[in-house]
Amino acid sequence: MILSDQEYQMHKAAVWRATIILSVVTTVEVGIALLYDTFFHESGFRMALAVFMILATLVKAYYIVAVFMHLKYERKALAITILMPIMFLIWLLIALLMEGVSWHHMIEFYG
Amino acid sequence: MTTATNTVQANSESNVWEGGQAPFGVKYGKLMMWYFLLSDAFTFAAFLISYGAIRFTVGQDIWPEPNRVFDAFPILGHGYPLLFVSMMTFILILSSVFMVRAVQEGHQMNKKGVILWLGFTIIGGIAFLSCQAWEWTHLIHNGMTMTSPISYEIGGHGSGAVFVGPLAFGQLFFTITGFHGFHVTTGVVINTIVFLNVVFGTYEKKKNYDMVEKVGLYWHFVDLVWVFVFLGFYLL
Repeated sequence: MILSDQEYQMHKAAVWRATIILSVVTTVEVGIALLYDTFFHESGFRMALAVFMILATLVKAYYIVAVFMHLKYERKALAITILMPIMFLIWLLIALLMEGVSWHHMIEFYG
Repeated sequence: MTTATNTVQANSESNVWEGGQAPFGVKYGKLMMWYFLLSDAFTFAAFLISYGAIRFTVGQDIWPEPNRVFDAFPILGHGYPLLFVSMMTFILILSSVFMVRAVQEGHQMNKKGVILWLGFTIIGGIAFLSCQAWEWTHLIHNGMTMTSPISYEIGGHGSGAVFVGPLAFGQLFFTITGFHGFHVTTGVVINTIVFLNVVFGTYEKKKNYDMVEKVGLYWHFVDLVWVFVFLGFYLL
């Protein structure tokens, strides 16, 4: 599958663009993570930063899977068979984190 | 005539399941690499989600601060929070980018290009592993192992107050980054084997560089997992 010169240049440009996005997002994430020290005990602020971190990480994951792993350019049916099972993990994440909070309360309550 | 009919059918999505062609438009090896990575994603997710559950159980108040645990840099010493791990992240991202370039040059059947970029990819992988070796050694020397908990000074240097974290922190850290590092190690080994095959012209003779694409997927997956490990241990 040899690409035409124009397509080849386009693919190359897409990869460098994704690289710049990944680098910028990582730099911003680390910059914000350093704020934790300053605002250690303000839990509301900390929660907001955590939500931002998770969203930024999902943006990075999207660029790695879509551009680097080329999934954006594959057939939709293939992408669905790979991404649909991942949905189970969202359930597992919510279930186990809720369980963790519950264990924490039990330890506090019963000592 | 038959070939022409097949080409027409391949273009319409509804007929691809009637046989005689690859319904997903990818070869068997690449499809199976994707499904292997899906299963591997479940393994890593199980690790990271367990980490989350244990962290919530222990509670944020007695969970170590990443900025305090990971604040050392070779030669410079302490007081540089997250600097070293950020560098490791950039090394792995760049290595992933080099791999994309190697795959692209493979599509162009450009042997020299593949050798150049795959070479850079392997160097990046070895650099990452070296950094991880240094980080582990540093943490173990500071007393964090599988059987002894993390501890660091609080309230300024010389105050004598010491924070002692849960044993689970070190255990989770070493198992999860260790399992990831094991993936990087196997990735470097497989990349090196493919690199030698490229040099000896194996894929030139086969007239396709599909193998570079398959190990490429594995290598990007290792980078993808690191993004989530980075989130769990260093950013949150």
